[in-house]
Amino acid sequence: MSAPAIELRNLEKSFGLAKIIQGVNLQIAKGERHAVIGPNGAGKSTLFNLITGRFAPTSGGVFLHGEDVTGLKPFEINRRGLSRSFQITNIFPNMTVFENIRCGLLWTMGYRYSFWHMIGRQLDVTEKADGILARINLSSRRNELAGTLAYAEQRALEIGITIAGGADIILLDEPCAGMSHSETDLIVDLIRNVTEDKTLLIVEHDMGVIFDLADKISVLVYGEVIESDTPDVVRASAKVKEAYLGASLEEEAV
Amino acid sequence: MSIASKTPLTAGTTRLISLSNVMPWAFAALFLLCLPFVFQSSSALTIMNQMAITIVFALSYNMLLGQGGMLSFGHAVYMGLGGFFAMHAMNMVEDGLWLPLPFLPIVGGLFGMVFAFLIGSFSTRRAGTVFAMISLGVGELIAACSVIIVVFFGGEEGISGDRTMGPPVFGYEFLTQQEVYYLTVVWLLVAALLMYLFSRTPIGRIANAVRDNEERAEFLGYSQRNVRWISFCASGFFAGVAGSLFAINFEILTEENLNLATSGSILLITFIGGAGFFVGPIIGAVVFTLLQTVLGLHTELWALYLGILFVACVMFFPSGFAGLIAMHRRPLALGKLNLLIKPYLKVAIPAITSVLSLAAILEILFHKRHGYGGDHEMHLYGIAFDSGGYQAVAFATIIAAISLFLVSRVLPEIREAWDNANHAEDRA
Amino acid sequence: MALFLVNVLDGFVTGLLLFMLCSGLTLIFSMMGVLNFAHASFYMLGAYFAYQISLVTGFWVGLLVAPLIVGLIGALIERYGLRRVHKYGHVPELIFTFGLALLIEETIQFFWGKSQLPFSEPAALDFAAFAIAGNAFPAYKVFMIAVAMGIFLTLLYILTKTRIGMTIQAALSYPETVQNLGHNVPLVFMCVFGVGTAMAGLAGVIAGPVLGVFPGMALQLGSIVFVTIVIGGLGSLWGALVASLIIGWLQTFATAYDVTAEQVLTAIGFTKPELIWDHPLQDLWTLTLPQLGPILPYLLMIIVLVLRPQGLMGNRES
Repeated sequence: MSAPAIELRNLEKSFGLAKIIQGVNLQIAKGERHAVIGPNGAGKSTLFNLITGRFAPTSGGVFLHGEDVTGLKPFEINRRGLSRSFQITNIFPNMTVFENIRCGLLWTMGYRYSFWHMIGRQLDVTEKADGILARINLSSRRNELAGTLAYAEQRALEIGITIAGGADIILLDEPCAGMSHSETDLIVDLIRNVTEDKTLLIVEHDMGVIFDLADKISVLVYGEVIESDTPDVVRASAKVKEAYLGASLEEEAV
Repeated sequence: MSIASKTPLTAGTTRLISLSNVMPWAFAALFLLCLPFVFQSSSALTIMNQMAITIVFALSYNMLLGQGGMLSFGHAVYMGLGGFFAMHAMNMVEDGLWLPLPFLPIVGGLFGMVFAFLIGSFSTRRAGTVFAMISLGVGELIAACSVIIVVFFGGEEGISGDRTMGPPVFGYEFLTQQEVYYLTVVWLLVAALLMYLFSRTPIGRIANAVRDNEERAEFLGYSQRNVRWISFCASGFFAGVAGSLFAINFEILTEENLNLATSGSILLITFIGGAGFFVGPIIGAVVFTLLQTVLGLHTELWALYLGILFVACVMFFPSGFAGLIAMHRRPLALGKLNLLIKPYLKVAIPAITSVLSLAAILEILFHKRHGYGGDHEMHLYGIAFDSGGYQAVAFATIIAAISLFLVSRVLPEIREAWDNANHAEDRA
Repeated sequence: MALFLVNVLDGFVTGLLLFMLCSGLTLIFSMMGVLNFAHASFYMLGAYFAYQISLVTGFWVGLLVAPLIVGLIGALIERYGLRRVHKYGHVPELIFTFGLALLIEETIQFFWGKSQLPFSEPAALDFAAFAIAGNAFPAYKVFMIAVAMGIFLTLLYILTKTRIGMTIQAALSYPETVQNLGHNVPLVFMCVFGVGTAMAGLAGVIAGPVLGVFPGMALQLGSIVFVTIVIGGLGSLWGALVASLIIGWLQTFATAYDVTAEQVLTAIGFTKPELIWDHPLQDLWTLTLPQLGPILPYLLMIIVLVLRPQGLMGNRES
C-alpha cells in the first residue's frame, strides 16, 4: 500500500503554557474525503496551520505521501501538492477575480518567478483560469475586483484559488461558515465537484455538510483525536456524544 | 496604462503587438521628440532632462511602493550608487576604457541591481513597517559612508566627470544639451517600457499578489521574500539607470544624491502622482519638477506648499492625481462626463481664488516676520504693497473667507452632479 | 580611568535622552501599530515651544508647558489626521507621519527661520555639579539624568502598578487584543498618541540647550531613534532601553577616543604606504574612530537584523 496522503505523528503544539494540540496521530489515505469536527477551541484551525506550515509544531511530525514536511514553510509545502483555503476569506482584494485564480495557477504551470513571459499572451494560463472560473460559477464576475464581490462569491473564489494549482491534497477551513442554506448547498456541490479524485481534509461546523461529504470523520476535542472512523461509527460513538455534548454544554454555560 | 490589476490583461490577443498597446507609447515618443522644438532655451532643456530622470527614478520607486507594497525610505541609495559607479566608469572612459556614453546607464543599472541584491537579501524578509525602517537605516548608513570613503564618493564635494570624452556615437559627442536630452529621453522610453512590461510578467503580477496578501501568496507556492527580492533587484536596476542619467546630465554627484531628503522626495513624488497607477509616478515627477523649478523661483515657501499638498493628498485623495483622473473613467464610460463640466467650471474660480489668497496670507506673514532690515515693501501676484501693517493680511483673509464660502456653496451641486454622472439608470 | 567615567556618564545621558524618545515611539507603535515617523519632529516642536515660552517666563515654565502643548497638538493630529488615514492601513499611516515630519519642519522654518536659536540652560543649573579628575560635569546633565530617570520610573510604575498600565501591557504583548478590551479605543489611541508625543516634547525641551535648537534637529535624531527601536525589537520597551543605552555609549565612546585605523593597522603589522594620498586604500588608513561614530548605530542595526531579525528583545517579527 502506498503511503497515506497526509500522516500526522504525535503532533503537538503549545503556545506558551497552553497545549493546543496534544499528540495527534492521523492517517488520511489518498483520495479520501476526511472531515475534522470538534467544539470551538478544540484546535481544528491550529491543526490546519500545523499541516500547512503556517506554524511550526512544538514536536511530532507531518508527512505528505510519506515525505517529512515538518517545519517547512507554507510555500514549500504548497509546492509538494497541498493547497488550503481559509476560514476568514483570504483573497487578493485589489485584483480581479480572474487574476486571483491566475495567481493560483502560475507556480504549478511552471511560470514561477518568470520575468520573460508576457502573462497576457500565455493562452494556456488564460484558458485554464477561465475554465476554473466556469467551474466555480464566477465567469460573469471575471473582471471585477475580488474585494467587491458578495460574501458567498468570495467564498467560492477562495475555493477556486485553492484548487486552481491542481494540488492533489486540498484542505478547506470552514468553507461554509456564514452562509445561508441554499448557498451552503451550492458550495457543497462545488466542493464535491472540484475535489473529485483528490484527497480532501475539511473542517466544518455544519454537521449536514460533514455527513454528506466525508468518507471519514475525526473528532478533535481539547487537542486530541478521540475518534476517527466512518460517519456511521462516529455518529453512533458514545465517546463522541459525551465529549461533544459536554463541550457544547460548557460552551453554552459560558 | 492604469493600474495593472484593474484592467484585464488578457483580451485574448494572440498577435504579438496590438495597436492599442502601442499607441500610447508611440504618442509619448513623438511628444518627447518634439518638445525641444517648443522649448528651446537651455534652462527649459535642463528642466526637461531633470524631469525625465525623475520619472525613471519614480517609476523604479513605484515598482516597490505601488506594485510590491514596499515602503522605502532609502531608495536614493540605488540611484546614487548607480550614479557614482557610472561616473567612475565615465572617468575610466577618459583613461581609455571603450564605452560609448549611451551604454553608460547599463553600467549604473547593474551596480544598482547588485546593491539591491545584497541589501535586499535581508531587507525584503518583511514588508510594511520593518522593511521601511531597514531601508531608512541602510539609506542613512550609505549616506554617512559617503563622507568617510573619500576615494569613492569624493567626500563633501562629491565626484565629477566629463561625458564628452567617450567615443562618438554616429558622430554625436554629447556636447550640446539637446543631444543629452535625446539620449535621456531614449533611455526614459526604454526604461519606462521595460518597467511597464515587467508589471505584465508572472513575477510582476505575483508582486501585486504579495502586496495585497502576502500570506495567501505563500500558500500558492510563492516565497513572499523571493518575490519582493526580485522586484527589489529590478527596481534597483532602474534606479541605477536614473542615477547614470543624472551623472551624464549634471556631471557631478554628491552625498545629496544618496541622502534621506532625496529618498523622501521620491516617496512624495510617487505618492502625489498616485502609487496605484503606472502613470502616477510620471504625473508626480512632472508636477514636482515644475513646482520645484517654477514655484521655487517665486517663493521661498514652495517646500511648505509641497508639504501641505502631500499631507492633504495622504488624507483626502490617497490614490493621488492619477486616482483623481481615474475616478472619471466611469462617468466617461457612461457618457455623462458633460454633467460635470458646468459645476467644475463654477467651482474653479472661487477655488483658485481661495488657494491663491490662502497662499497670500502665508506669504505676507512670512514676509512680515523675515523681511530684510524692516523692509516691508512686498510684491505678490504683480501687486506691490506694504506688508508692515495688518491691512494686507486682513484683505487677503477677507478674500480667502469669501472665496471659501463660495466654494462651500457650490460643493453640494458638485456632489449631486457627481452622483448623477456615476449613476447608470439603464442598468437592470 | 577618569575620562572613562566621564564618558560613561555622557553616554548615559545620551542613552537616556534617546530612550525618552524611543519609549514614546514604542508605546504608540505597540498600542496603535503606527510607527510615528514624525516623532522626532514633536521633539523639535518641544524645544522650539520651550524656547519661545522661556523668552517670556524663563526656562522652568517652558519645561512644564511646552510638552503639554506638544501633547495637545499630538492628540489633535491623531484625532483629525491619523484617524482618517487609519482605515487605509499601517503603511499609509507611516506615509502620513512622514508627510507630517516634512510639514512640521517647514512650519518651524516659517515661524522661526533657518538659523539656530540661542536656547541655553537655566542660570540656576549653569555650574559644574562635580568634577572627575579635573573634568567638570555640568549640573544641567545631572538634571537631564534626573528628568529621564524620573520619566522612566513613572512609566515603570504606571505600567506595572496601575490598571491603565495593565491594559497597556496587555496591548504591548498582544496587540490584537486591544480592540477587545472594552475600553473606548479611539479615546485610548488619542491619549496614547498625546502622551507619547508629549514625552518627545519633553525630551526636546531638556535636550535643546545641549544639542541646539535648529530646524535640522529632528532629522539629526530621527533616524537614530528608528534604528534604536529596530535594534531593540519593535514594540519592546526593555529592548528600547537597552538599545538606547548601547547606542548612547557607542556614540560617546567613539567620539571620545581618537583611535585611528593607522594605529590599529600598524599594530597588527601592516606598513603604511608612503604615497597615501593616491593610494586606493587611502580611506582605510586615514579612518578614525570619531569618523565612524555616526555610522555605528546603522552598522549595529544591520548586524542585528542579519543575526536576529526580530531585534535584541523583540519577540514578534512584524
